[in-house]
Amino acid sequence: MKIAVCVKQVPDTWAEKKLKDGSGILDRESVEGVMNELDEYAVEEALKITEADGGGEVVVVSMGPERAGEAVRKALSMGADSGIHLVDDGLVGSDSVATSYALAKVLDGRGFDLIIFGSESTDARMSVVPAMVAERLGLAQLTFANKVEVSGGNVTIDRVTDNGLETITAATPAIVSVVEKINEPRYPSFKGIMAAKKKPVETLSAGDAGLDASQVGIAAAWSLVDSFAARPPKAAGVIVQDEGNGGVAIADFLSAQKLI
Amino acid sequence: MESEMAMRLIVGLALTIGILAFAGRRLLFLVKLARSGKPVTGRLSDPTARVQAETVEVLGQRKLLKWTIPGIAHVFAFWGFLVLGATILEVYGALFNPEFAIPVVGRWSLLGFAEDLFGLLVLVGIAIFAILRLTNKPEVKGRYSRFFGSHTTGAWLILFMIFNVVWTLFLYRAAQYNVSLYTGNDNFPFMNGGAFVTEWVASWLYPLGETANEWLEHIGIWLQIAVVLLFLLIVLHSKHLHIGAAPINVFTSRRPNALGPLLPIMYDGKPLNFEDPPDDALFGKGHIAEFTWKGYVDFMSCTECGRCQSQCPAWNTEKPLSPKLMIMNLRDTMFAQSEYLLAAKGKHPGLGEFDEAALASLSPEVRAEVERPFIGSREGSDHAAEDGYTPDGHRSSHADLPIIDEEALWNCTMCGACVNQCPVDIEHIDHFIDMRRNQVLIATDFPAELNGLFKNLENKGNPWGMNASDRNAWISEVDFEVSVFGANGEETIPDEVDYLFWVGCAGAFEDRAKRTTKNVAELLNIAGVNFMVLGDGETCTGDPARRAGNEFLFQMQAAQNVEVLNEIKAKKIVVTCPHCLNSLKREYPQLGGNYEVVHHSELLADLVKAGRLTPVNKIEQTVTYHDPCYLGRHNKIYSPPRELVAASAENAVEMERSGDKSFCCGAGGARMWMEEKIGSRINQNRGDEAIATGAKRIAVACPFCSVMLNDAVTSRQQEPGRAIGVEVVDISTLLLSASKS
Ligand code: SF4
Ligand code: SF4
Repeated sequence: MKIAVCVKQVPDTWAEKKLKDGSGILDRESVEGVMNELDEYAVEEALKITEADGGGEVVVVSMGPERAGEAVRKALSMGADSGIHLVDDGLVGSDSVATSYALAKVLDGRGFDLIIFGSESTDARMSVVPAMVAERLGLAQLTFANKVEVSGGNVTIDRVTDNGLETITAATPAIVSVVEKINEPRYPSFKGIMAAKKKPVETLSAGDAGLDASQVGIAAAWSLVDSFAARPPKAAGVIVQDEGNGGVAIADFLSAQKLI
Repeated sequence: MESEMAMRLIVGLALTIGILAFAGRRLLFLVKLARSGKPVTGRLSDPTARVQAETVEVLGQRKLLKWTIPGIAHVFAFWGFLVLGATILEVYGALFNPEFAIPVVGRWSLLGFAEDLFGLLVLVGIAIFAILRLTNKPEVKGRYSRFFGSHTTGAWLILFMIFNVVWTLFLYRAAQYNVSLYTGNDNFPFMNGGAFVTEWVASWLYPLGETANEWLEHIGIWLQIAVVLLFLLIVLHSKHLHIGAAPINVFTSRRPNALGPLLPIMYDGKPLNFEDPPDDALFGKGHIAEFTWKGYVDFMSCTECGRCQSQCPAWNTEKPLSPKLMIMNLRDTMFAQSEYLLAAKGKHPGLGEFDEAALASLSPEVRAEVERPFIGSREGSDHAAEDGYTPDGHRSSHADLPIIDEEALWNCTMCGACVNQCPVDIEHIDHFIDMRRNQVLIATDFPAELNGLFKNLENKGNPWGMNASDRNAWISEVDFEVSVFGANGEETIPDEVDYLFWVGCAGAFEDRAKRTTKNVAELLNIAGVNFMVLGDGETCTGDPARRAGNEFLFQMQAAQNVEVLNEIKAKKIVVTCPHCLNSLKREYPQLGGNYEVVHHSELLADLVKAGRLTPVNKIEQTVTYHDPCYLGRHNKIYSPPRELVAASAENAVEMERSGDKSFCCGAGGARMWMEEKIGSRINQNRGDEAIATGAKRIAVACPFCSVMLNDAVTSRQQEPGRAIGVEVVDISTLLLSASKS
């Protein structure tokens, strides 16, 4: 079984983020980059499937600036076998449509049985790239999985929806996106970190990947940032000193908010 | 007479040669086994300190005397054996020559007196030991007996053998005395008096007549020789091995002790370079064959006395970990796999690989034992809450389960109580940390909560995952100027700055600790101490990572901090966290960072002494002070915080467990970030002890103790009538409120 996992480097989820002066583009230099948390679950799931299978190959695919190579290494240190890193100045500012185009180009024709994504990135939070890639590649999409099972050329997932779980099966090759809690991503062992340094990573430019330059980058974006404003500071909370009337105060507060 | 003497000699020598052959074989085996351990360096450096330790701890029995009654009993037994060495010479001399006496001193009454006195004292000693064992039976007291899990039968056998040594000694000496009286020969060396016990026993045997006494002398000598040699044989096969191993262990132990800094992972005598580690480097210990010879000598030295166990916060709150049982378990594993260890001769490659040739030479049973998983879950084993041990020291082998219970391994708070107590200087923490290192760096099998800790440390440089930019948030909450390094373009710390105030992660991000930070800053301000902070230039010292076994992460964080501190030419540093203190002061020298680091209690106590801070308004509430493990035991700072308490409060009381016997709050060893799933809560145990003193203020000197004890007190305050008005406060809070009128 050959599995691709698409990972993205995102600015540290909990850090305070800044925009580049005057532009609507995130200043990625100002914050630590980390591997998108949900993608860690995707990597873990891929590793689990190949481990249970007793073999196979896990390839990490990432599109992003030079620094995104760190996310690829991280996935390699967790145990993935090799990486593909698509990096090109022409890709800066790509929106999800362009990203799905670029990723589909890279993934196409490499013989993957399964392509796994995290269900969303913690920066853009659109959750659409897996579906778009599936569409472009003409593969079945099994998104928001909190359980994945592969057997006999089929992949079956439990899909999390607002109304409960759906069980979906499709023939491979297929695209799966996973939600958190599907597994507990492993912490890379030191052995893994050392081994990752020696694992192959293929670096592709837009040209190498055969991308049409007019379809990617900020100029091709279908969405653009119209305006932005700093988030207003948090309003101070209400503090009630408990002098035996704490319970009443909480009830009053909740009913004032129409919560009870 | 002639033929009797010949018989005496022949029987005596035959006994000796026969038993010594067995003893010699065992001794050779033990030496080879110890030497099959992995190499370790620096164990003979600084010989002066080592000789001193040998004198104080072995001859002076200092650590044993921490416990008065058992200590004195042991002094009697130990010194008894040294002095009775003379009687062994005499008994062998008597085999060849009935009138033998040790040259020069051999006929001094003083020697006879000393021998008899110490013979008697040995009896007193073993009587005390017997009483201690009878009143402290594990069958009755369960895990609260320090002997729980020790081999009690073996211990009684030893006491019985010592008793035999002494009575056979007096038997032959008394008979010898009588024979001398009958014949007028000088058989007994001390006919001029001194040997008072011998004379007393002799007076009872005298009426039996000359022949009987002659025979009693022969038989007594044979018995004495047989008993002494059998005793030797038993010693070599039991926990009493410490008689030989402990002096070696004390000599080669870490000096001044195995507390404070942890040792780096070594390779070829040097700290391992994580950037480019050699292929055959080991990262911790994941198999008994990966331990060093010092580890093996540690295991051979354990006397099963249980002093460590009696102090252990994990064991005392019904968790599986007992430092004693861990060491016993490692020792038993070492013996069980000794065939492999001897065959591999230290060439075990580790990292899950075995020395194949050595493995092939083993019987299937031993081989299975060697290949058995070393560390892992022992869920479902018998006596799981006692690390698998029964009260009398039996551990059902459960060959299907791993040897070391991971639960016990992660229970340890690294409080150092065990190392501090151990009379034979076993280095428990070093072994535990090595096993944790293997679990984190190689096996990646560790408590899930640590995932979050490691990620926060890696991504954010602090355990809470807060933003570095908030490190200075406390400054806006004080109403005086605080200089921040770099704010005025400084590149090194200006000369007029007295101290770099290392605020620490807790001090910057944790509410209670933040209060301490502000208090200390204010006190320094009042006292006119010129200090500066690093702000977002600080990252975690790496203590939690290191104690959680993530040496790689520690090395990265420490290297980063050392680089910053060296670059800005930091010299004097003040900290409010004992863990920061331990890292900066004791561990950073391993990475080329040498600073003069003081804890705020030391600096504040000095300022009070110098009259630069004057408490004018002592608080009325009674205060009890809790010694943090990393301030007290690990760094021996006991009095400055107490001086501050005395300066700030009218009354202070001590808890039963204080000073070097202080009981951990439960947060050390990265336990702060792990769940406490088994047994009762360590912090509650300590909090209750503090509350029971009746004190209304529990003074602490560590941000983690502060959180843990505060939790404990708060949970008791929810019970009606308990812990009313009790507050947990940092010593700086006490001093500050006393300094304000
Ligand atoms: S360091 Fe403390 S918690 Fe750990 S084994 Fe020793 S006494 Fe127990
Ligand atoms: S480790 Fe030390 S203190 Fe603990 S039982 Fe053994 S000898 Fe005693």
